[in-house]
Amino acid sequence: MFSQLKQTAAMTGANLGSLPRRAWIATSMVLSVALVVAVLTGFLSMAKGFEKTLAGAGSASVAIVLGGGTNQEIGSDIPADLIRNLRANRGETGIARDSAGAAIVSREILVPIDVKRLADGVDQTLALRGMDQAGPAVRDGVALSQGRLFAPGSREIVVGARLAGEFAGFGVGDRIRLGSVDWTVVGQFSAGGSAFESEIWADIEAVQSAFDRQGQVQTLRARLESPSSLPPLRATLASAVKTPVAALSEAEFYASQSARTSSLIRLFGWPIALLMAIGATAGALNTMMSSVSDRTVEIATLRTLGFGRLAAFTATWIEAVLLSLVGAAIGAAVSWLVFNGWQASTLGANNTRMAFQLTVTGSVMLQAGLLGLAIGVVGGTLPAFVATRLPLSAALAGRG
Amino acid sequence: MTGTIGKEPYIEIRGVRKGFSFGAEKVAIFSDLSLNIARGDFVAVMGPSGSGKSTLLNMLSGIDRPDSGKVRIGDSHLEQMGESAKAAWRAHNLGIVFQFYNLLPMLNTAQNVELPLLLKPLSRRQRAERVDTVLDLVGLDGRQKQYPASMSGGQQQRVGIARAIVTDPGLLLCDEPTGDLDCKSANDILEMLRLLNRELNKTIVMVTHDPEAAGFARRTLHLNKGEFTEQFQREPEDLAPQPHRDEAMEQGVARQ
Repeated sequence: MFSQLKQTAAMTGANLGSLPRRAWIATSMVLSVALVVAVLTGFLSMAKGFEKTLAGAGSASVAIVLGGGTNQEIGSDIPADLIRNLRANRGETGIARDSAGAAIVSREILVPIDVKRLADGVDQTLALRGMDQAGPAVRDGVALSQGRLFAPGSREIVVGARLAGEFAGFGVGDRIRLGSVDWTVVGQFSAGGSAFESEIWADIEAVQSAFDRQGQVQTLRARLESPSSLPPLRATLASAVKTPVAALSEAEFYASQSARTSSLIRLFGWPIALLMAIGATAGALNTMMSSVSDRTVEIATLRTLGFGRLAAFTATWIEAVLLSLVGAAIGAAVSWLVFNGWQASTLGANNTRMAFQLTVTGSVMLQAGLLGLAIGVVGGTLPAFVATRLPLSAALAGRG
Repeated sequence: MTGTIGKEPYIEIRGVRKGFSFGAEKVAIFSDLSLNIARGDFVAVMGPSGSGKSTLLNMLSGIDRPDSGKVRIGDSHLEQMGESAKAAWRAHNLGIVFQFYNLLPMLNTAQNVELPLLLKPLSRRQRAERVDTVLDLVGLDGRQKQYPASMSGGQQQRVGIARAIVTDPGLLLCDEPTGDLDCKSANDILEMLRLLNRELNKTIVMVTHDPEAAGFARRTLHLNKGEFTEQFQREPEDLAPQPHRDEAMEQGVARQ
């Protein structure tokens, strides 16, 4: 056993020492592995960033009530009698109350609007959310970074921090035309990089009026007494109206939204990365076959001296694995430098733009790195086997 | 032809048949080859290209297996051994000197010579001591750190010989050991082989095209079309004049 280790170490050292002779082809293998790892890291970091952005928006202590048999805000409709009923209900509803004893609930409506982006002048669809004054209070981690909140009934807006730098007319004090009326920007808010930062908020009645949606409420957002208060709320809703309404925790709501999109991203990312990996494996196989061919006399000489087949196999295989490991490390490092924190955006569940940051986490690098490593493991196996079958007479015939 | 001169055969080749297939065509190299070599003998094998010299060396080293017949070296019947057993046998009983030295260019002199010792249960220090001893023996003391690329052909072949004898094998197989060397270097190498044979009692089988090189052996066998056609036995006084071992080594060093 110890002899096998010494043999393998000696043959591996000889293999690696001869790498300069094969610098270009070894570099091509390293780079192809790095490319595969970078591509997969790109997709996975996109999915991870999207998940993280939506996960940051979700709290277990906030409930979203949807009506009309849908699980998305667009298309949802909350009956007016439900709102009246909840406001009038002084019993145990599961909804937290303010110091005056009023339920902390925000009626909300979401309107897609087009706004020109500064960089390219292209219209982007953003989410204008009408809400009650309690709206910010039923969102965790939201804070005004500049200015003040919109006043009730006024055509004032506050904008998310991600939008402020990217679109014209979102500075505090600016006036901007959204729909058919002008709005005044009175504040900007931050929300820890979550999906809220991609929204514009205004008073619900001003939005209903400006977009001719009087009386329409798409969702209710309520602050729960505790995360375990969701079942009492559901019971209250079930007894309040006959039409179907659903209450989800905010965490559940965004998790379902992010799962759909991130699954889609992964669905594209993995097959592309796997196809590239198959190509890279063929490249690795070619590189290692050329390595074995280049070292034929050396391998045969060592075998003639008494070195075993296992050492010949393992040393060749280790070379392939090490090269792919270097490629994976380069790919992961470059991906982290380039992708991590990269601003991206996509259409969210409401067909409005949602900004997020690509997030290269340890698990993302590990998954992509393992795929890169697999290229070396698989691509090196056949050449390693070939190394054990080289005719030893090559040692006597060849120029060493 | 048996060829054992009054000694117990150390190497015994008996009734060996060996052929190769080239597509549909089969070429017979040996149809019934027999040969005895005594322990401590120094045999030169000569013959034209294609006569079977390389095949003979391949069979003596266990690289090739005879189609039938017996190849015994000491107590080992090579024709019956598997690949792993033959590898282990080579590691402990055989030294090979190659025509083109076959040194690993990325390893220095000491590392190249140390390679066969990695197959033995020796400590690093024991290995280093053995390497130093054989490098001293072949006149390369002090060149442990030198790489093959910076050495002459003669020096590289000395490293090759040091690597072949570092495990103290009973048998040395030399494949045209002077085929790539100039006259002076060739003479040094052959002197060294003769000293290894005489002083350390190494059994040597050397394939060569060069009659002068063959003149350093105790006997010369001529191989033609797979058969030994002639053998020439030298009496001690017929052998080329030999300087004292130390003198030869010193001369060798001086010539490099």
